[in-house]
Amino acid sequence: MYINRALLLAVGVFLVFSPAMGEWIFNQGIVWHRPYQLWLLIVVAAYWNQRTRYPDEL
Amino acid sequence: MSFSLAQLLLFIVAYLSGLFAVAYLADRGIIPERISKHPATYVLSLGVFAGAMATNGVMDLAYRYGYNFLLYYGGVVFMFVFAALLLLPLLRLCRVYQLASLADVLTFRFRSPWVGAAITVAMCLTLLPLLALQIQAVADSIQIMAGDADNLFSRESQQNGLALLFCIIITVFSILFGTRHLSAQERNTGLVTAIAFESLVKLAAMFILLFAAVYGVFGSFGEVERWLADNPQVSNAMEHSLRDNTARTLLVVFFAGAVCMPHIFHMVFAENTDSRDLRTATWGLPLYLLLLSLPILPVTWAGIKLGHALPIDYSGLALGLTARSTAISAAAFVAGLSAASAAIIVTTLALANMCLNHLILPTRLLQIDRELNIYTQLKWLRRTLIGILILAGYTFFITLSGSQSLTQLGLVAFSGTLQFLPGIIATLYWPAANRKGLIAGLVIGLTVWFFLMLLPLAGNYPAPMWSLLPENMLAAGANRWADGMLFSLVLNAGLFVLVSLLTTASAEEKVAAEICSMDDLSRPIRRVLSLQSAEEFSRQLSSALGEKTARAEVNRALAELQFSPGESRPYALRRLRARLEANLSGLLGPAVAYSIMERCIPFQPGMQDSTEDFHLIERKLDRAQTRFTGLTADLDNLRRHYRETLNNLPIGVCSIGDDGEILLWNRSMEQITGIVARDILGSRLDSLPQPWRQIMGSFLQGDSDTQLKTEVAGNGDQSTWISLHKADADTGSGDKPAGTVILVEDITSFELLEKELLHNERLASIGRLAAGVAHEIGNPVTGIACLAQNLEFETDPDEVRYTALDILKQTDRISRIVESLVNFSHAGSNAGELTLAPSNLADCVDETIHLLALDREARPVHFDNRCDRELVVLADTQRLLQVFVNLLGNARDACDDFGQVDILARCKGEEVVIDIEDSGCGIPPELQAQVFEPFFTTKDPGAGTGLGLALVFSIMEDMGGSVSLTSPLHNGPNPGTRITLHLPRASYGDAFEA
Repeated sequence: MYINRALLLAVGVFLVFSPAMGEWIFNQGIVWHRPYQLWLLIVVAAYWNQRTRYPDEL
Repeated sequence: MSFSLAQLLLFIVAYLSGLFAVAYLADRGIIPERISKHPATYVLSLGVFAGAMATNGVMDLAYRYGYNFLLYYGGVVFMFVFAALLLLPLLRLCRVYQLASLADVLTFRFRSPWVGAAITVAMCLTLLPLLALQIQAVADSIQIMAGDADNLFSRESQQNGLALLFCIIITVFSILFGTRHLSAQERNTGLVTAIAFESLVKLAAMFILLFAAVYGVFGSFGEVERWLADNPQVSNAMEHSLRDNTARTLLVVFFAGAVCMPHIFHMVFAENTDSRDLRTATWGLPLYLLLLSLPILPVTWAGIKLGHALPIDYSGLALGLTARSTAISAAAFVAGLSAASAAIIVTTLALANMCLNHLILPTRLLQIDRELNIYTQLKWLRRTLIGILILAGYTFFITLSGSQSLTQLGLVAFSGTLQFLPGIIATLYWPAANRKGLIAGLVIGLTVWFFLMLLPLAGNYPAPMWSLLPENMLAAGANRWADGMLFSLVLNAGLFVLVSLLTTASAEEKVAAEICSMDDLSRPIRRVLSLQSAEEFSRQLSSALGEKTARAEVNRALAELQFSPGESRPYALRRLRARLEANLSGLLGPAVAYSIMERCIPFQPGMQDSTEDFHLIERKLDRAQTRFTGLTADLDNLRRHYRETLNNLPIGVCSIGDDGEILLWNRSMEQITGIVARDILGSRLDSLPQPWRQIMGSFLQGDSDTQLKTEVAGNGDQSTWISLHKADADTGSGDKPAGTVILVEDITSFELLEKELLHNERLASIGRLAAGVAHEIGNPVTGIACLAQNLEFETDPDEVRYTALDILKQTDRISRIVESLVNFSHAGSNAGELTLAPSNLADCVDETIHLLALDREARPVHFDNRCDRELVVLADTQRLLQVFVNLLGNARDACDDFGQVDILARCKGEEVVIDIEDSGCGIPPELQAQVFEPFFTTKDPGAGTGLGLALVFSIMEDMGGSVSLTSPLHNGPNPGTRITLHLPRASYGDAFEA
């Protein structure tokens, strides 16, 4: 079974840090767009992760 | 400000017509492919996920649970960011096996039409709330726009009528969109482009609402923050904290929805043509959803600030109505309409395909007339199903009487589809799962979902069920929903695992499990088909599909695989069968396709343990190369290295399976045989062209593992020579070998060189004899000269006659010497032809002794020819002479002066055994194995070429005889050597009879 180790690490990091992220989002006063900043960060990370152009592997 | 119903309905028709125009233009190619097939179009089409729940329902979620509304998007974002977990493997499966829906995937994995039927029924049931949600959102919006918001919750017949009108319109357009293509697997470019266009419209409308809320209601973004600071009850509500458990459950629910919801599944997998597009979607869709969700909070807050009487879901419409702005109202209406219509169109299309493939066709509820066009009948069936499904959604909607919010409907639908998640995960990650476990888990999960989620929608709480549940589940709000979802999921997964562990999976399930699991390096079995050609495929399939459709499907599969219509290679036929099953799966569903293929194109029974399909494994490994890392990549590199080594070996290598299929054919084989690997790989040995079929076939069947020299007749005069070796190919997995490896060495150049050297050896012999010949001829010539001189003065006629007789005698002697020499030298001139005929052995030995006697410089050994004068052997006289010259010459050289060489012969059965014994120095045992090798000599440099005995060995083999040696014969200073020849016995009568 092939699962990318980086992917597993990312899932682990997400699970470990999700409470801290939640705290950061909700307990820092009313900056309503703060969750979107985190979201944008995830988008950038996802873009960074797939920027290597693979051939159509199917 | 209000609109008339006619205006609104006309607007809906106009909007959907515009959408259809986009689809039509894209299908016709008027919208260029660089747009319709751009990755961005695919990514935007995935915006179908954001139905009315995303444009309206989430505002209610945000209002009630603050930032937790983001979980709705978070689940999908998580699914796409971590696409490698589920999406990419599923895409691979769907693309390779032409699976277009979740039911297709699970039916394929669990190899049961019942699984497909169960999934389809369950999916239709769980999707009813989602369809009702879309219908309700549009019907409510129409009513609000028509200025009848006060009666929104009364669900008077007028609103039901509006909903029905909308359903009729959307049914027409769903049919127009969804059934333009024959197969569910054909990419519907028009649909993808239209849904992408809708996503853009939705986004634009939401941004209009964002600016209307921020600048129209608050004044600026700064004012929004000031208003929040002034209204702590709102900001506190934003920080509404769900229990961690609840938040994670909701995240899992929406995560599952991203792959289990049929409309998302359809757009992600069935409409994907390039896996790179899905990679783009891993960041593209999260970005799109980020933009789409940005207006939610400001618009919701604007709705709160305005204090309108409408449900918070319709805050966008409230903005327009309060500002009396047609543009803002239209934007809010279009946002909801586009979201709902996209969701309905794609959902019903996907569900219709599932119903057709898993309910109608496998159970033969409706018989397909094989004489008519199957494609047209399927299209009409699909259209009817779309109508029925929208009608079911409408019926559900009016049954609820508008008692539920959009959020509740959405949560029920999402929690229903959550029940399919264990099946999906097991498909990819748990090969031990079986269909009994899946069905058991689904039944329990959906039962709990039905009682805890669906029934409460209608305000019906069955007391016995609730009394079994923990106390907190009865608490109102999101926690109750989350606990109910978690409870059903845990029961579902638990029973699934338990039943799967306690029961056994069928053999078919195990094969499918291997295919589906990500451990794709499992061995595809090379099974043997009963049919021998593509033409037979057509004939067999016509019993199930009708002659015309069967031929069309076989031709289509052949064209896709780039095979010729006359294809008959087993490997190609296996691939053709797999492609046909995949294509039929797209047309009729995997269950029906599987059953047709099993019935019409079965594999031969009893071949389950055939060897692996190495060719297929290689292809898969080659394709998967980019995904290997670490040890796997190292192993793959090793594999490539060994394959290249094997391919580039200067010796031909071919591997043949136990069923006679050619599995390996390296480059040297191509050069030696002139047969290209791609033409022959996967074929049977008996499909090789002559003479290779005969040569390889007889060698494979023969007992001997080695064939040192085989002549291969070429097209012209050119012949080639090969040597063959074979060995069993044992994979170590079974008792019997998995096949045979044959090594083929081209020894033509060696053979030619050997012949040339042998010719040289003969010339050398002639050279050595030349002095003797000169002497032998010189004597009679001197005699003739003397006689001729005397003759000049002779007058007595009697003396003249005697002298003439003497001269004739001398010339006879010369003639005989010359004849012997010519005979010997001719032996090699026609080396390629061997003429076996009865030969008198004793005469041949005499001739040899006579020839050897010409060598004056040789030792004066005594040759004793003790062969029976009647013995006749089957041989080529010239070659036999050459054999004796070499053997007797060697015997003489081995003897000292006055040595003795005896030549004896005896009959032994059908053979004549000839012994040549000398009284020479003998041959040491350690050298005996080498003496027949070319260029091996014990003589002084220059005295021998080392080719004599090699020549003898070669000639004897050509004549069907053999040669061996024994040494020493006795102890003492001259131990002696015996060379033994075996030759077939013959008689002159045989030749005559022949």
